[in-house]
Amino acid sequence: MTMRKRLLGWLADAALILYFLFALFPIAWMVILSLKPTNELFSTYFSFSPTLDGYRTVLGDSEGIPFVRFFVNSLVVSLGAVALSLLVGLPAAYASARWRFKGSENLMFTLLSFRFAPELTVIIPLFVLYQKLGLFDTYVGMVWVLQLVTLPLTVWIMRSYFADLTPELEQAALLDGYTRKQAFVRVALPLVKPGVAAVSLLAFIFAWNNFVFPLILTSNEAQTVTVGALSFLGGDRPKYNLTAAAALVSVVPPLLLALTIQRYLVRGLSFGAVKS
Amino acid sequence: MSTAIASTAIALRGIRKAYGRTTALDGLELKVAEGEFFCLLGPSGAGKTTTLKTIAGLEQPDAGTVELDGKDMRGVEPYDRGVAMCFESYALYPHKSAYDNLASPLRSPRHRLPAAKARERIGEIAELLGISALLDRPVGQLSNGQRQRVALGRVLVRPARAFLLDEPLSHLDAKLRQQMRAELKAIGAVQRTTTLYVTHDSVEALALGDRIGVIRDGRIVQTGTREEIWYRPYDTEVARAFGRPRINLLPGTMTPDRGFRSPDGKVELPMLSDTTPGTDVLIGVRPRDLTLGEGAGHQLTGTVYVTEVLGRSVEVTVRLGEQHVSLVAPRGEVTALRPDDPVRLSVRPENLLLFEADRPERPGRRIDHE
Amino acid sequence: MGWRLALRPYVLIVPALLLTCGILYPFGLGLYYTLFDFSASKPQPDMVRFENYETVFTQEAFWNSAWVTVLYAVGAAAVETVLGVAVALLLHRSTIVGRILEKILILPLMIAPVIAAIIWKLMLQPSVGVVNYLLRPFGLGGVQWTDTPTGALLSSIAVDVWVYTPFVAILALAGLRSLPTSPFEAAAVDGAGWWYTFRRLTLPMLWPYVLVAVIFRFMDSLKVFDIIYALTEGGPGDSTVVLQIRAYLEAIRFQRYSFGISYTIVLWAVVYLAAMVLVKHLGKIQRKAAEVK
Repeated sequence: MTMRKRLLGWLADAALILYFLFALFPIAWMVILSLKPTNELFSTYFSFSPTLDGYRTVLGDSEGIPFVRFFVNSLVVSLGAVALSLLVGLPAAYASARWRFKGSENLMFTLLSFRFAPELTVIIPLFVLYQKLGLFDTYVGMVWVLQLVTLPLTVWIMRSYFADLTPELEQAALLDGYTRKQAFVRVALPLVKPGVAAVSLLAFIFAWNNFVFPLILTSNEAQTVTVGALSFLGGDRPKYNLTAAAALVSVVPPLLLALTIQRYLVRGLSFGAVKS
Repeated sequence: MSTAIASTAIALRGIRKAYGRTTALDGLELKVAEGEFFCLLGPSGAGKTTTLKTIAGLEQPDAGTVELDGKDMRGVEPYDRGVAMCFESYALYPHKSAYDNLASPLRSPRHRLPAAKARERIGEIAELLGISALLDRPVGQLSNGQRQRVALGRVLVRPARAFLLDEPLSHLDAKLRQQMRAELKAIGAVQRTTTLYVTHDSVEALALGDRIGVIRDGRIVQTGTREEIWYRPYDTEVARAFGRPRINLLPGTMTPDRGFRSPDGKVELPMLSDTTPGTDVLIGVRPRDLTLGEGAGHQLTGTVYVTEVLGRSVEVTVRLGEQHVSLVAPRGEVTALRPDDPVRLSVRPENLLLFEADRPERPGRRIDHE
Repeated sequence: MGWRLALRPYVLIVPALLLTCGILYPFGLGLYYTLFDFSASKPQPDMVRFENYETVFTQEAFWNSAWVTVLYAVGAAAVETVLGVAVALLLHRSTIVGRILEKILILPLMIAPVIAAIIWKLMLQPSVGVVNYLLRPFGLGGVQWTDTPTGALLSSIAVDVWVYTPFVAILALAGLRSLPTSPFEAAAVDGAGWWYTFRRLTLPMLWPYVLVAVIFRFMDSLKVFDIIYALTEGGPGDSTVVLQIRAYLEAIRFQRYSFGISYTIVLWAVVYLAAMVLVKHLGKIQRKAAEVK
């Protein structure tokens, strides 16, 4: 019996390792590919003389693709989108968690529906609209449209954090002589700080990873890394090592951030539906 | 302290408050005099906490007015009302130390006490409540009893127009509760300040309240001193709420000769009440007002049903025909009693209470009698 | 003064409301555009009423796209659910191996789907890709992954599975960790077998968590774009042209704006209806699960 149990345990571990091979091999392979010199690209698979030339080319803008600028663009529009979502979303999340009022549930549902709406429904009209308004290929245009992703996330998750907080804490602060604004800033906000941190990082990651908005609403000036990485695949001769290097560079920020917010991920990914 | 001369500190008139379809307060009327210690007693769900929060301005009544020191509080923000409240959930700031919790009201824009003065004041209060050693700890590391004292301290530390205390002793263990009950009224700040104290414990209400208000289903049923509540309860439910063992309530009817008669005729008492003969009524008599053996007043006879020791005294349940009544007697008097022993009981006429019979829609009201 | 109190939540919500309107406006504008024949070649469009929708529904290309979309969504959501729950169950045993691997579980999920597709495109390249190289010892050297209709669809689903299985696994694992222990202890005392415990206890209690994951995955797969755009661009032929890709091709590539938006409106309606049905179901199933507890 114990023998059989131990065997089953090993099998289970083996199955787990098998899944993680599937999950991690592509990332490992990208690292390998990005380190290959161009002349060994197609001649070998695992044995080659590693070089950082691929990264140098990508970050040196030498293929006519201003990748560093794309990287900065991603940073700017993602940070901008998160900042705007927090500024606008925190009060809304707080209000809808604290008071029942007409229209609150409608707004929440509308925001949730953004989460599931096909992006092109909004983007194609925006494509036309932005050309008229001069917002095409600009930071402002990108920050605006990214709200479709970051605002619902911010409001829904922060509402679940605020709802977990008993209103009596803020009531106690009011009776201590603080105004409502002070009660919010001194009592409610510090207590949902982990939520704010998690939501900011998650919103940043989703904004960074977005592809379809910059694909259609930018052409060059405000283009981001996700679109930029894809452009290495174009051209006559496939530059696999450069593509791999570009892909890796563009996934570094979200991966690093993701590893720091593991604990809060469950609530974030499920829009507050599942708490851990 | 509750004299007619004292001005009214808190006045609630016709307060209504509903949450969705459930009515929390249903035309509540309440007056608390300046400097008074007023106990609001009622079961959970009666509207006690809502009453406090309405006074504090944390809940907006659907109808009715809240007056503090004679001023209508409509539209006055909680931070401008000058009342301090101790929440049943403590509502301590979990991210701050006990000291910072106590300091919170003193640092607020309303009080703005200089740091040195605040420290002195917090020291005094902490000393009083026996939490001086805990001040540096985050509240998350405190026990329930310690948290409750910090919560109480946060109320007492500041000058206030009124203290609103929501079950401030309910989470303490029995011994600490008894000790704190004794200490609470001795605290200078409490003696000086109008205090509205909410509890579901009638012993606490009797021990603490200058006056007591009994709240039920969002209305005040009766207010009065402990004597008034004890000797002239508004109805059977108020009578049942106070005193352990509970008051004996014997059903019967009024006789044409202005007396009471139980259905089996085993209990007959002259009541001298003008109630219509034939009316269904209840006779109430508290266990401590029934005397074993011959004594002054009316005499009754029955047999011992069961005895139960309550420390120095004994609760004796006596069968009077089909009815049971309980009484409390000193232990020495009843050691010889065995079940089915015949006993005589006596009760003074002034200790008899007469009530209408309970009806499904409402408990029986007390009827005056001579 | 009373009205000021009543107004307070609205004041807080106004910015969000404005921003929401800023997103709803293009949506409404799009809806309006679908009633015209607006395109790059016809910037002064005429009202055509519901002609665009009529064309959509009578086009074979639409029904092909709808079919591909459903295949993709059902396939991806099903595989991710089974695999994700399996991974969660294995991780829940918390062996040393499991605890180490759990820390890196989310990595694929945090990679932009388009980047994931690029990565897999490089790996699946028939002649020089590493996948075929690794398969060569098994006699499978020359699979034309993304160059055959079935292969392209399966490859796209595989990339979706690679990215999103951790999503299901994370939610299921959170669910497993929050289950009460007493029913399991009781079952163990009764000598219940692993399969019985799993079928009668774990699965019903876990189902609400899994369902949240499944709904998210199914709805997201219905509007898949990034992965297919980067991996196959809808090809070969029309074999992986899901609805959003079709809308993109019509509106952006061929610049028939009105017609392209009509596609997205139809997709939007489908997603909306699916959400209604699923959310209703979610409520029912959660109540059922509560009874089990």
